[in-house]
Amino acid sequence: MIEVSALTVRFGGVTPLDSMSVTFPAGTCGLIGPNGAGKTTFFNVLSGFVTPAAGAVRAFGEDLLAMAGYRRARWGLRRTFQTEQAIEALSVFDNVGLVHEHSAGGHRATRRQDVLTALEFVGLAGSPKESVATLGVRERRLVEVARAVVGSPRVVLLDEPAAGLPDEETQHLARVIRRIPEQLGALVVLVDHDMSLVSACCDVTAVLDFGKLIASGPTAEVLRDERVIKAYLGTEDKV
Amino acid sequence: MPDFRPFLVLGLALGGVFALSGVGIVVLYRATGVLNLAYGAVGALGALISWSLINVVLLPDWEAYLVAVAFGGVVTLLYGTLFGPPLAQRDPLVKAVGTLGFTLILLGIMSWAWSYQAHSLILPTTQLGFEVGEVRVNGTQILGLGLGLVVTGVAAAFLRFTKLGVAMRSLANHREITATLGVPVRRVEAAAWLGAGLLAGATGLLLSTLVGLDIVGLTFLVIASLSAALIGRLESLVVTMIAGLAIGVVQACLTAFDSVGPYRTMTPFVFAIVALLWFGFAQGRLSRT
Amino acid sequence: MSVAEEPEVSAADRPRAAAVGTWLRATASEIERPTAIRAAVVAALFLFVLLALPGLVSTFWLQIGTTVAIYSIVTLSLALLVGRVGLVSLGQISLLAVGGWVAVRLGFAAPGLPFPLLLVATGVITGAVGTLIGLPALRLSGLYLALITLMAAAAISVALQVTNFPNGGPGFLGYSGALAGSVSAKLHRPDWLASSASFYRWVVVVAAVMFALGVLHVRSRAGRSWAAIRQSEPSAIAAGVNVTLYKLWAFALASFMTGIAGGLLAASAGGLTTYGFPAQDSITLLAVVLMGGVFSFWGPVVAALLLKLLPELLKNWGLPPDLLTILFGLGVLQVMLTAPAGLVVQVPRDLAGLVAMVRGRLAGTGPAEPAE
Repeated sequence: MIEVSALTVRFGGVTPLDSMSVTFPAGTCGLIGPNGAGKTTFFNVLSGFVTPAAGAVRAFGEDLLAMAGYRRARWGLRRTFQTEQAIEALSVFDNVGLVHEHSAGGHRATRRQDVLTALEFVGLAGSPKESVATLGVRERRLVEVARAVVGSPRVVLLDEPAAGLPDEETQHLARVIRRIPEQLGALVVLVDHDMSLVSACCDVTAVLDFGKLIASGPTAEVLRDERVIKAYLGTEDKV
Repeated sequence: MPDFRPFLVLGLALGGVFALSGVGIVVLYRATGVLNLAYGAVGALGALISWSLINVVLLPDWEAYLVAVAFGGVVTLLYGTLFGPPLAQRDPLVKAVGTLGFTLILLGIMSWAWSYQAHSLILPTTQLGFEVGEVRVNGTQILGLGLGLVVTGVAAAFLRFTKLGVAMRSLANHREITATLGVPVRRVEAAAWLGAGLLAGATGLLLSTLVGLDIVGLTFLVIASLSAALIGRLESLVVTMIAGLAIGVVQACLTAFDSVGPYRTMTPFVFAIVALLWFGFAQGRLSRT
Repeated sequence: MSVAEEPEVSAADRPRAAAVGTWLRATASEIERPTAIRAAVVAALFLFVLLALPGLVSTFWLQIGTTVAIYSIVTLSLALLVGRVGLVSLGQISLLAVGGWVAVRLGFAAPGLPFPLLLVATGVITGAVGTLIGLPALRLSGLYLALITLMAAAAISVALQVTNFPNGGPGFLGYSGALAGSVSAKLHRPDWLASSASFYRWVVVVAAVMFALGVLHVRSRAGRSWAAIRQSEPSAIAAGVNVTLYKLWAFALASFMTGIAGGLLAASAGGLTTYGFPAQDSITLLAVVLMGGVFSFWGPVVAALLLKLLPELLKNWGLPPDLLTILFGLGVLQVMLTAPAGLVVQVPRDLAGLVAMVRGRLAGTGPAEPAE
């Protein structure tokens, strides 16, 4: 469970997050909103790249904001980025292994097993020895997801993992994402613009608009919510 | 208590020139994202060309000086036209390293054609002497300080009130949007390169007179101007000017103290290091992505 | 990397273990031949350079060779910083001067210290200095880090002009104007290194040890963390990498290596002069390192040859060495223009850039050079 209380971020005269309060209970939770709503900023606060002006975040009972950025990852906070960031200079194995060796509980003895398990989990075939630089978009995204699920993750933040992927890849991704809470016991927060992906994976969804939370609850209800539709389409009064 | 006044004069003159080139560096950086580390080398080469024109070709002085300034503008514009667009999307570090390559090319040309022996280029304004209070001041020193102040004012006004200047500021703040607004980006950048180059040429002449025409010395005096520009956070012209003057004055006045005197040429670097650390820590508090 | 190790498996994992085992055997046979050939070539070349070369060239060229070997340590340190971690330092030459200074000072302060120990001590002290310089700079982005190292280098150059290299005088600085004898400061070599040939061999061995140290690092957790940092710092943090620590470690390692090179330089035929470390050299160093290639371990060797052998060859043929400076400047620009990932891998900020980059790769520019 992640509890966000009155989270506010301000810089340069802009308020990307405005007193956001929401609870992500368990399983896979969606976070949607129009462009610029503050979703990535929220992830950046969780990752430790942005210091909030106010508010608190408690994850599984621990004060997340009190930990240094890299320590959060060791604690079990994992994340993928909008533009995939699998390390080109390293092999697939080393990419995933790197996260493993820097995590609490990432012992050398279990490393190979855990890495191969993660690769199997995301459905990445092919030799783990291959350099990531030789892989295509789809495989690189899977490597990134593998990095997010290797070992024992507690919270997995997925930032637009399906961006740029064709439909069948998105479906495969949806299956993988659903399995994360089921098989690994981690809480997933999924940000994406693909509503079918969000519907397929997320039991509950929160909606941000201009940094404010405008709706949260069961996904199907939220997607039908008038306020949410207005946020995406704009109101009819606008000329 | 040592008499600081002669040092103050020297310092203000030198500082004025630091401010002059600092302004050139800032305007160019803001318009193109390129921190031009070749600034000093361009000035040095211009001064050397002037020297040859005066002493070898026997051209009238003022014509040679004009050539130096013009040369500075042309060669900088050439670099900007050739290497600006291909590197435009890259990290500022990559662009700055590119100018280091430019610096090496210029240094190579200078040491090849003129070798490292000392040359002398003294602007005729040095013969003009004035008495300010009880201190002797020469025309070049007044020119250095004066140009520094005037150019800062003119540049600030230019950026605020002219169409071209506003376009440059727009490029600095919102690069992606500016192009879509119909601003001729390449032409605005070219203007910035040219302007910076002309200033570099002028700086080279002034520094040759004030400090000496030494290839390496002139090339690396860019660091003092760079320090001023960094203290101005690469955006405020006024702060750059004040910083330049401060660096010049502090460095000159340290000559009076025997214990730290020999270390006085470290002044610009110390200023710059402090500025960079401050700048860096302030920026570090903002989002890193 | 432990890919070649055999895994321990429980009964429940046996089917998977069998699959893993098959995979392991397949890859083992794949990697053996090219790696073995490469290792053999390197070994042969090394032995030739070490054993045969001194007998084939004159003392003058042997001393050039010694200088090349010494500077290859410096180019290695910069290549590691730039190529592996993505940090540009414009101060390695002044660190070289610092290393030289420390070595000579230690030579006067502790005359009984065995030469190898003195070198290690020099490396450690210089490593500390480099780390101190790097410490405040680490929170800065690439450009500002480069500028701070430039400023620090220039400041050190000025300080050096004033303090000079130690010449046996009193006090911390160990310099006395009254004692000024020879123009250059030298570190006394032990008898077993007195001849040019034996010193040359010693330097080559030390250089090889430094390269081995570099390889070890790149293949370890540090190397993987550096690769993550170079790719993208936020992503590295998100992977649990303590970015500050690993950057500092890179600085410490690079400074340690450069310090040792400084010590070797102090003991070499030319010794140390206060005008031997001009600011321009730091730029030239970056230029040759970029031209030699920052992603491989041959790059630094090529860079050292460009830096110290080529000027001598040109002089020998009656050509002005200034041409090289121009060439190096052009080289820098060429590397900036054509390097696919540049100095620092820039992840495209938008999807269009990402797609373009991927298309470029699939179109046949081939995989990036593999990490060693």
